[in-house]
Amino acid sequence: MSLFKATEKNGVTTGASALSLRNIKITFGDLVAVDNVSFDIQEREVVGLIGENGAGKSTLLKILAGVYKPDSGTIELSGEAKKFKGPQDSLDAGIGIVHQEQSLFTNLSIAENLEFVSGGSSKSGTIFKPFNWVKANKNAALALGKVGSKLDPRTRVGDLSFIDRQMVEIAKAMKVSTAKVSNPIIILDEPTSLLEVHETEALEREIAKIKDLGSVIFVSHRLDEVMRVCDRIIVLRDGKLVAIKDRDDVNQQELFQLMMGHEKKSQPRSYQRKHQGDTPKVELREVGKKGEFRGVNLKLVAGEITAIIGTNGSGREDLCKAIYGVKSFDTGTMLIDGKEINHWNVQRAIESGFGLVPAERKVEGLIGGLSAADNISLIFNDDVKNGFLINPKKNLAIAKEWFEELDIRPRAPQKELEKFSGGNQQKAVLAKWLKSKELSVLILDHPLRGLDPGAAETVNSLIRKAAAEDTAVLLLGDTMEEVLDIADQISVMKDGEVTGSFDLHVDHPSTLDLLEKMV
Amino acid sequence: MTQLTSNLIAPKFDVKKAWKIFGPFAIFAILFVIVIIRNSNFLSGGGLGVATQVSAPILMVALSQSLVLNIGSIDLSNAALSLLGAIILAVSLPRLGVSAPVFILILTTLFGAVNGALVAYTRAPSFALTLGTLGIFQTASLVVSKATSVYVDNNDSYLGHLNNNTILTIPLIFYVGVLLAILLWAFLKYTTIGRSMTAVGLNETGSVFAGLRIKRIKILAFAISGLVSGVAGITIISQSGSASPNGLGSDLLLPGIAAAIVGGTSILGGVTNPINVVFGSLIISMIPITTTALGVNAQAQSLIYGFAVIVVAAFTLSHARKNIVK
Repeated sequence: MSLFKATEKNGVTTGASALSLRNIKITFGDLVAVDNVSFDIQEREVVGLIGENGAGKSTLLKILAGVYKPDSGTIELSGEAKKFKGPQDSLDAGIGIVHQEQSLFTNLSIAENLEFVSGGSSKSGTIFKPFNWVKANKNAALALGKVGSKLDPRTRVGDLSFIDRQMVEIAKAMKVSTAKVSNPIIILDEPTSLLEVHETEALEREIAKIKDLGSVIFVSHRLDEVMRVCDRIIVLRDGKLVAIKDRDDVNQQELFQLMMGHEKKSQPRSYQRKHQGDTPKVELREVGKKGEFRGVNLKLVAGEITAIIGTNGSGREDLCKAIYGVKSFDTGTMLIDGKEINHWNVQRAIESGFGLVPAERKVEGLIGGLSAADNISLIFNDDVKNGFLINPKKNLAIAKEWFEELDIRPRAPQKELEKFSGGNQQKAVLAKWLKSKELSVLILDHPLRGLDPGAAETVNSLIRKAAAEDTAVLLLGDTMEEVLDIADQISVMKDGEVTGSFDLHVDHPSTLDLLEKMV
Repeated sequence: MTQLTSNLIAPKFDVKKAWKIFGPFAIFAILFVIVIIRNSNFLSGGGLGVATQVSAPILMVALSQSLVLNIGSIDLSNAALSLLGAIILAVSLPRLGVSAPVFILILTTLFGAVNGALVAYTRAPSFALTLGTLGIFQTASLVVSKATSVYVDNNDSYLGHLNNNTILTIPLIFYVGVLLAILLWAFLKYTTIGRSMTAVGLNETGSVFAGLRIKRIKILAFAISGLVSGVAGITIISQSGSASPNGLGSDLLLPGIAAAIVGGTSILGGVTNPINVVFGSLIISMIPITTTALGVNAQAQSLIYGFAVIVVAAFTLSHARKNIVK
């Protein structure tokens, strides 16, 4: 591989690469989604593919998967030109994709899942062959072994953790693609966006293993991860290839700049603590919920951002939902402004000035089929009504103000919210709460999930602004870096208990210090 | 930059959107024209009157159904409730006189609310629960009517005027339906409670997280639906002057659902336009008239009716809703 190094720099090599794209271009109407993209990938190489939402990553993957046909350009596999008529051709050529949305049947066992796609075969007659579980289990164990997983192939997929399911997805993709060719191309489409910190490390080890068997294209939002895992990194912006970098020749800051086209601004933290001595806005005393968390003490202070970090299963998500009133506490007490509260529910929480930005944006956070304007005025709507009746003009006008304020694009508040991109949806969800004059507690459950770095930056600045305006913020972050950047206080949860608390105005914990308390 | 281009959204003519708004009307107009071409006497001979008269009870039941469909439920008992209302109305008219219809509306509203409370509190599928109340309402109809036709005395048949008096050959009762449709449309569009119903139908989990009072909203939707079913009962009496467990109104359930769907209401919830349901019910009543005008023989009419409903539903249904629940 080092032979290629010299010529690889501009992305085009002379030898037969495992995969080479030449001048791939595809347009949808007026939009050039992928514009003249060319690059090569060698055998046994991990290549990162990064770019903002809308940069053309997904479209490019769909071209490789045979879903879209490019308008022009060629795809070569080991020097052989390929034309994919459909996804089956792509599979047969040894390209396996692990999709963002998991594609496994949760009610079937691992072995059954792997067997049903075996070879992606469409040969007639296979349907009528009796299913051989013994063989299926043996094959599955082999396939799992190849990616270094020791899972029992008889386990129901629904019972697996997210990371284990991801492993099965990878095993499935490997199995399909290695059935036909010696050097498969495995594409991982943002596998880590839903994983917790220690899980991503497991996945990284996994990727290193796959590398021994074929080539990997790794799509991710997390630049630190890309830097750790990939040999080379391809950066797309607005459908164009802007750079191909060797890992050793680049740092995160540069990658971010290449992706965004501008420099990342680091916001200085406000060191003025106006309310530190005040009665906390919300205080939890020894609260617990059977099977989820117990003995949790926590204070949310006006004007401060309190972050909780922890792995999957730490109980912090359920804690958030209980504070907001969609779940309940079994034990302990919750105080608001020093007063104990009883009969807590969502309606009372909202009346008390609580707001929640849930993790499952599409399901919990918004009503996708309603217009953006209707979503923004869903809860607080006195300002858009004349007496009893909604005034649609006012509704749109006020939504438009929020569109300007939070830079929600496109400026079309009458459009259904589900038609906006993730980042803009999240801003609309925030607007729904920020428009409340009584907002005093804002709970954010993974607010940056699935957002590109630009949108994440905007959302983060909104969170800071809310805190600066005396809202008590509770934040569950995706990464430790994100939290260290923004929080005033950090509590670490593990297995339902708080294992550590840091005041970032006093303590200066490193990510390692935090990790220690988490696992 | 993409940001620049996406910033400029020019209002464009959207075929899908236009079809969603005008589709049901267009199909009705096409059927109407076909009939006139085949039979030039249709218009002068009061054809529009016949079509609107036939569609009036279907319209009421369809409006009642679309309110429930809008919150993501279905009510299999609403037509049976209308008939029960009609029978009780026929029985009580001699005693209660003018206040009888009011009594019926209160009663059907309450029964609707009971349906809603069952759906809200048991969280069982509305399909199953209302299948149960369907049986109960049917039995109640048999008991109240003693399994025969109950006739309304001539002296009490002031309700008949609603059907017999016409403006532009269209009976008054149909105008009542149109007015009701406009009121319901405004209710869903201009009140927060109406919009909340749509929100619940689109995404119930999201509505819970937004602090909407789901149970209250569901009960209210079913209650208003019950009220409209009561109006359907009054329509039955005004048209036939009698009510019986097997007479007019005993087979309104499926035409009512068909009219709601043909009128663009989504069976998955969150999408309905009561004004288009007016055209939905007109289409449903025009289909047999059209097939007759085209000379299809009597035995084949059900077949054609079936095909026509399938085709029309496929064209008018909003395809946008693939509920994204992962």
